[in-house]
Amino acid sequence: MAGSGTGGDHANYGGSSDGNPAAAAGQCSVREQDRFMPIANVIRIMRKVLPTHAKISDDAKETIQECVSEYISFITSEANERCQREQRKTITAEDVLWAMSKLGFDDYIEPLSLYLQRYRELEGDHRGSIRGEPLPTIRHRSPNPSTDVVPFFPQPPPPSFVVPPPSGPPHLNHLYGDGAGGYYYGMYGGGDGSGASTSQDPPMPGFDHSYAPYKQ
Amino acid sequence: MRQAGTYSAILSGGVSGRTGPHSLPLARIKKIMKRSGDDVKMISGEAPIVFSKACELFIEELTQRAWMMTLQGKRRTLHKEDVAAAVMATDIFDFLVEMVSDSNGTQMAPATKSNISVAER
Repeated sequence: MAGSGTGGDHANYGGSSDGNPAAAAGQCSVREQDRFMPIANVIRIMRKVLPTHAKISDDAKETIQECVSEYISFITSEANERCQREQRKTITAEDVLWAMSKLGFDDYIEPLSLYLQRYRELEGDHRGSIRGEPLPTIRHRSPNPSTDVVPFFPQPPPPSFVVPPPSGPPHLNHLYGDGAGGYYYGMYGGGDGSGASTSQDPPMPGFDHSYAPYKQ
Repeated sequence: MRQAGTYSAILSGGVSGRTGPHSLPLARIKKIMKRSGDDVKMISGEAPIVFSKACELFIEELTQRAWMMTLQGKRRTLHKEDVAAAVMATDIFDFLVEMVSDSNGTQMAPATKSNISVAER
C-alpha cells in the first residue's frame, strides 16, 4: 500500500520536475495537489496580514502558493547538504533552523525556536519524553529582538477613546492628600472605591497598567 | 484577545492537534521536502513542524511586502506583479526570482521596477 503510493509520487514528480511550476498554474484543474500547500490555507494566512478591504488576484494567490513550495525546497536542500557533509541521514529541526539562518532568514529563528520549544513541551506532556537537543542560539542582527519581530504582525489599533492626560490626579493628590487622590482615582474608573484606603499607592499607576497593552 | 495570532496557534490546535484546522498540513510539507532532492533520505518528525510555522512567517512577510507594492501603485488588488516586485526588492527572496519573472513571458512593468528601487533601497 505504502509502496504503491510512493511510486505514484515519484512518477508524478518525474513528469514535471523540469517544467516551470507556474505553467501548471494556467490550468488550475490539472495542478498537482501534492506539490503545493492547500490554497485555502495560504489565502487564510495572507488575509491575516492584509487590511480587510484588500483584494487578492488569483494569480497572486497561486504565485505565493508556488513560492511556499520553493521556499521549503530551498531550505531543505541546504539542510540536506549539511546532513551529507556530516554524514547523517536524517534532516532534523536543527538542520532546518540552521539552513534558514544561513540563507538569510535570521529573523525567523527566534519565533521558530520558541514554537519548537512549545511543541516539545506539549509533546513531552503526551509522550513523557522530550528530545533534549539544544536549540541553536543564533542571535539577531539588531540589538533589540523585539523590533525584528514587530513588522510581521499588525500593530493593534489605537484606542478609540481619548485617555485623560495623566498629569492632573497625582498633582492633586499631593496638594489635597489621600482623600482627593482616591476621589480622582475613582472618577476615572481605575479603582473600585478602595482608592482612598490604599494611600501608599499613587493613583496613576492604575492608568499605566490599564493602558499598558496600547503602549508596547 | 485582539493580539492573538502570533503564537496562539500553538495552543489552539496548531501544534497540539498536529493537523488542526489552523496549521499547514505536515504530510504535504514532508512531501515537498522529499522532492527537494533525490538524496533526501529521512526527515525528523520535528522538521515539518518547524516548516509549518516558517511557511506561515514566510507567507506573511511576502504578502506584506507585496502589499506595499500594491499601495505604491495606488491599487487595492494585490497582483502577481506586486509579488514579483517584492521578490525583486528583497535580498532573501532572490531564490524566487525565476519563479515570479518568467511565467507567461510577462516581465514586470518597467515603471514598477523603478518604484522598487526608490522605495526599498
